[in-house]
Order: sequence, then C-alpha cells, then structure tokens
Amino acid sequence: MTGVRGVWLVVRREWNQRIRSNAFRLSTLIAGAIVVAIIMAPQLLGGNTKPSRTVAVVGRTSPALSTLMATVGDQLGLEVSTQRAADRGDADAALRAGDVNVVLVDQRAVVWKGEADEQLLAVLTTSVQAAERQRAIGALDLTPNQLRSLEPSELTSSSLEAATAERSARLDVAMIGLSLLLLAISFYGGFLLVGVIEEKSSRVIEVLLSRVRPTDLLSGKIAGIGLVGLAQVGVVAVAALGALAVSDSADVPPTTASTVAWLVLWFVLGYGFYAVLYGAAGSLVSRQEEAQSMTLPISSVLLVAYFFAIDAAHSPESTTALIGSFLPPTAPMVMLARVAYGGVPAWQIAVSVVLMVGTIVAMLRIAGRVYAGAALRLGRRVKLREAWYGVETAR
Amino acid sequence: MLQIHGLTKRYGDVLALDDASFTVVPGRIVGFLGPNGAGKTTTMRAVFGLVAPDGGEILWHGQVVGPKQRAHFGYMPEERGLYPKMKVGEQLEYFAQLSGLHGTDGRDAVARWLDRLGLVDRAEARLEELSHGNQQRVQLAAALVHDPGLAVLDEPFSGLDPLGVKALSDLLEKTAASGAAVLFSSHQLDLVEDVCQDVVIIDHGRIVLSGVVEELKAASPLRSLEITVNGSSWMPDLANTIRQRDGRVRLLVDAAVDLEAILADARSAGEVTRFNFEPPSLTDLFLEAVSGRREP
Repeated sequence: MTGVRGVWLVVRREWNQRIRSNAFRLSTLIAGAIVVAIIMAPQLLGGNTKPSRTVAVVGRTSPALSTLMATVGDQLGLEVSTQRAADRGDADAALRAGDVNVVLVDQRAVVWKGEADEQLLAVLTTSVQAAERQRAIGALDLTPNQLRSLEPSELTSSSLEAATAERSARLDVAMIGLSLLLLAISFYGGFLLVGVIEEKSSRVIEVLLSRVRPTDLLSGKIAGIGLVGLAQVGVVAVAALGALAVSDSADVPPTTASTVAWLVLWFVLGYGFYAVLYGAAGSLVSRQEEAQSMTLPISSVLLVAYFFAIDAAHSPESTTALIGSFLPPTAPMVMLARVAYGGVPAWQIAVSVVLMVGTIVAMLRIAGRVYAGAALRLGRRVKLREAWYGVETAR
Repeated sequence: MLQIHGLTKRYGDVLALDDASFTVVPGRIVGFLGPNGAGKTTTMRAVFGLVAPDGGEILWHGQVVGPKQRAHFGYMPEERGLYPKMKVGEQLEYFAQLSGLHGTDGRDAVARWLDRLGLVDRAEARLEELSHGNQQRVQLAAALVHDPGLAVLDEPFSGLDPLGVKALSDLLEKTAASGAAVLFSSHQLDLVEDVCQDVVIIDHGRIVLSGVVEELKAASPLRSLEITVNGSSWMPDLANTIRQRDGRVRLLVDAAVDLEAILADARSAGEVTRFNFEPPSLTDLFLEAVSGRREP
C-alpha cells in the first residue's frame, strides 16, 4: 500500500479504535465537566452573592421603606429583606431566635440582639432618612421641575488602575489556555509514544511494514491520534464557550472566546511538532516500561517552552516573547499567550504558522528515517545514531 | 515467478547475504533451509523492502519489486504478533485493506478466511481472547487474507503441534494449488521433505544447494544405506556412519560403492534382516551441503 491511501487507512484505524473505547468517552466527559466547572464555579459557589440580612419592622413604616432598604443594601453590599412583625413582642422574639438580624421600631429606633452591625445600621439610617425625606417632599406639593431639582445627582465611579485589572484578567485566561495546551500536547504525544511502542512490543510492526511504508505508518498514527485529540479538545472548547456564554460574568475579558479558538489552532501545530518527536522516540524502544525514559527529554523541552510562554504572558510586548513566537518549539505556547492579550499583528501569526508547518514537514522526514531504521530492531533500546544510519530505504 | 538475483547484504563486517540467487515458481512450494544466521530472514525481509540490499535485484514476473508488486505478496514474519486488543474480523479486514482490497472485497476475503480456518464465531472476539493455536491461525490469515500471488512465511511450522503441522501443510498445498508461489523457511527438515517440491539451502549468506527435491536426491553422488544384522554389533569398514541403534546401521555411501562386498561382509557377521540402498534424505543433503562449506 502506498501513499495517501495507506496513510488514510492507518488514520482511520487509530480513530476507530480509540474513539470507541470507554476510556475516551469518559475522559472527554470529565475534561468537559472540569472546564465548565472552572468557568461556572464563581457563580455556582456564590462567589459573587452578597450576605443577606433580614429586618423586622414594627409600627409606623413608610410604604417605600422595604424597597429603599433593598436598594441601599445592594449598594453597600448587603442583600436586605424586610419582615413585618405584628407587634414588638413578636419582633423581639424573632430577634432572639435569630430569625431576623435587627428590629426597626416606628422608623425611629433600632434594636439589636447583641452588638450592632455597622453595615446594616448604615443601610437602615440611609433608608429611613430617604423615606422621611420623600414623605416630607410629598407633603410640600411641589411642581415637577422643583421635584427634579431636589433629586440628588448620582456619582460616577472610575478607577485610575482599570487597565491593570483588565490585564490581570487576560493573564488568567492566557495561563489557563497555556496549561490546557501543555496538558493536551503531552497527553496526546504520550498516547502516540505508547501507540508506537505497542506496535513494536506486540510485534505487529513487521506485518504492517510489509504493507505500508514506515513514514506513511508514522504519519497516519500521528494524524489519527491528533484527530482524536482535536475532537476531545474541540468538545472541551465548545463546552468552555457555552459555559462562558451562559455565565455572562463581568470578570471574563472579551479576548476569551477568540483565545479558545486560537487554542485549537495552536494545539494542532504544537501537537504536530511534538508528536513527530514522540513518534521517533517511541520507535527506539520495544517495551512499554521504557516509555517513561523516552518521554523525559521531550517533556523537558515542552516544559521549558511552557515556562518561556508564561514569561511571555507576563510581558507580551517583550523581545523574548516576539522571538519565542517564531521558534517552532515555543511558538504555539508563546503565540497563545500573546493572542490572549490581543493586538498581535496578523502577519506575525501567519509567519509563525508557516514556519511551524514547514518545520513539522521537515521533521517528519527526519523522524520517518529514524522510525524506519529502528522499527524492526526488537529487544534492546536502539541508539539514535544506529537508527539514522541503519535505515533500510529499499522503497 | 519470483527471481532473486545476486542478492548481497552486509552488516558491518558480517556478510549476511553473499550473491544469493534462486527462484520461486507459481504453483510450487519452496522450502528455504539453512542454519541460524544463514540469511533466511534477511532474504525474506528484502523481498518486502524491510531490508535494503547492497547489491542484486528482486523481480516479480520480470519486474523489479516495489510497492505495487508487494501488494500481491503476503508475509508472515518469524516474530509473530498482531494487535492484541483489536477484534479478529476487524484486524483481518484492516490488513486486507492495507493490501489493496477495498470495501466488500475486503470483507468477503475476511469471511472466506475465517470460514477456512474455522474461526467464524470468533470474528468479534479480541485477538488476546483467543487460544494460542487460534492466534496462530489468525496470524496466518493476516498474511494470506488477500490471496497473494506470493506467500512468504518465516518459520511457519515452529511451535505447532502435529495437528497444526498437518493443517498448515494442507493449507500451503492448497495455496500453491491455487496458483500462488510459496516460499517458507524451516528448521524441521523431515517436515520440509513432505511439504515442499523445491528446496533452497543457504549457509553463511550463500545458496549452497537449490532445485527440485527429487532431482537433487537423484543427482546426489551419495546414497543412504541401512543394514540390520540380527544379534550382532557388526559395523561396516566405512568411516561415515551416521547412526547406529539396536543393531541397525545407517550410512551415507558413494553411489558407486561395492554393495556386494558390504553385503557379503555383513552376512559373515550374522543374519541380515534389512538392507536398504536409496537416495539420501533431505537432511542428508542439507548436512552435506552445509558441512561441505564449513570444511575449507
């Protein structure tokens, strides 16, 4: 079998065998659930809700008082609700039992169970004053213009450090994106490594290579497992975007949605680059026990790239970030970090993508040669040199 | 017809194949014999492009073998193995597809082979769930599922019990009868004698003997001589006795040996109950060919 059809058959086998496994379904579900949970957690756990207080009112009360207390309470960070008590005795009993936090008598006196709650007292004071004021103004029988002139003007609120807050939110998005990228690349890269070793350790490799060219087999495996990864990352990305849309949280910066989309592209390129390394490494050993020792050097490079990208995330305009976004080992992560901030020129992204694709194609040729030289050498670990020079290029 | 011409392969200082040439004809079974490390596996791998020869060429029906020709070849490597966790039917279909059988052709071929090997009810089982014997059958089916024009099997009889040997021999005969060229290697020489019509003997990378088994036997300058002298430990006055057991003497002698003299000598020792003079066995030819090269 030659060329495209051989590659396609290998891709299809990898896809079918993995997509049907329960492990795949379960891990997709769990990954999606975790991401949704991370996004929704602040709301679900009540991170944004205000502490609630209940006021018992007795005797003379303005009709608007309960609305006023709720509004003022909201501004001062309390959720205030009102309870009408039949008489003073009932109110005190409720206060003692802890059903209410305070008793307001005739809109004149407040009674606490123990120590006064300063925040709630401020709410009550402001609300009562406003209610009295409204009542007094109502009694004056003023013209609409006079009424308007009496309305207090609202203060506008702004912060000198607003830009910094936005920046830190974007940094969070970049960090989460980078962690996901690191996880996904090492996860599916590891999958590929194990898959390559599996074919050697089960000895099926010789049956395969009598029918498929080594480079085609390796390419097919990389693409097949990559597609599985893409499907899983895609499901998680869609779940994340859905959760973001539902949560409408003010803390989520506007670049988040596009960052998730970029994550998919940089996963494809980052996985492509590292998968070629993982695939070649896997062909050098014959037993799964040796997988760990083969992963280590590649994972180290990946980790260095990750730290490089974290540095870039903190200073996306730095020269190192710029250089890092063009070097194939670091480009996917550094670019993702920069894109999370926005404002990356399109030409830089284009150049980076072209460099990545070119490098992956070139590396695939090198890895294919190593793979061809090592795949049929069973037993002890094959040295890189032996694989390179021992290549059998009969095809 | 598979033609191997002057195949040479060097691994460092070791000459694995030294100008090896032989042919495998459609419809015939060729036994490929040689001591360990003689170059059998290297030759077979070269046919499938798994080894790049330093010299020589491999032709199939007169054309240099490449991916297109190999689609018509089937190979069972000495190192057995398939995907342990893949279903038997799916697995065979995958190999059929890799050999160019598409769609229903692939499925039909798998169904035919599962039926032929008595594995129809195991099609949905994972390979690892099968018994050792059935796994061997699937391995064979993986090599032959696309009904190749050339079947190459590296040590197919190793590890088989007598029933398995019989089943495989029958299968190879059927495969050859359907017009395929069959090449297999083996250490079990007595077995090869029953199965193959042609033989190729390789030693130290050189083909030391090849041809039709019966013709080689007839053309040999040697003969096998078996003599039993009742109740006597009589030994002929010849150096190359192969074995002696329970008064039965077996020797390889020159075809022109003086039989009358030997018989008379034996009779003088006692009653002769057996006196067989026949062409040498394949084992004799093999040992002769291989040891002949060992002696400088």
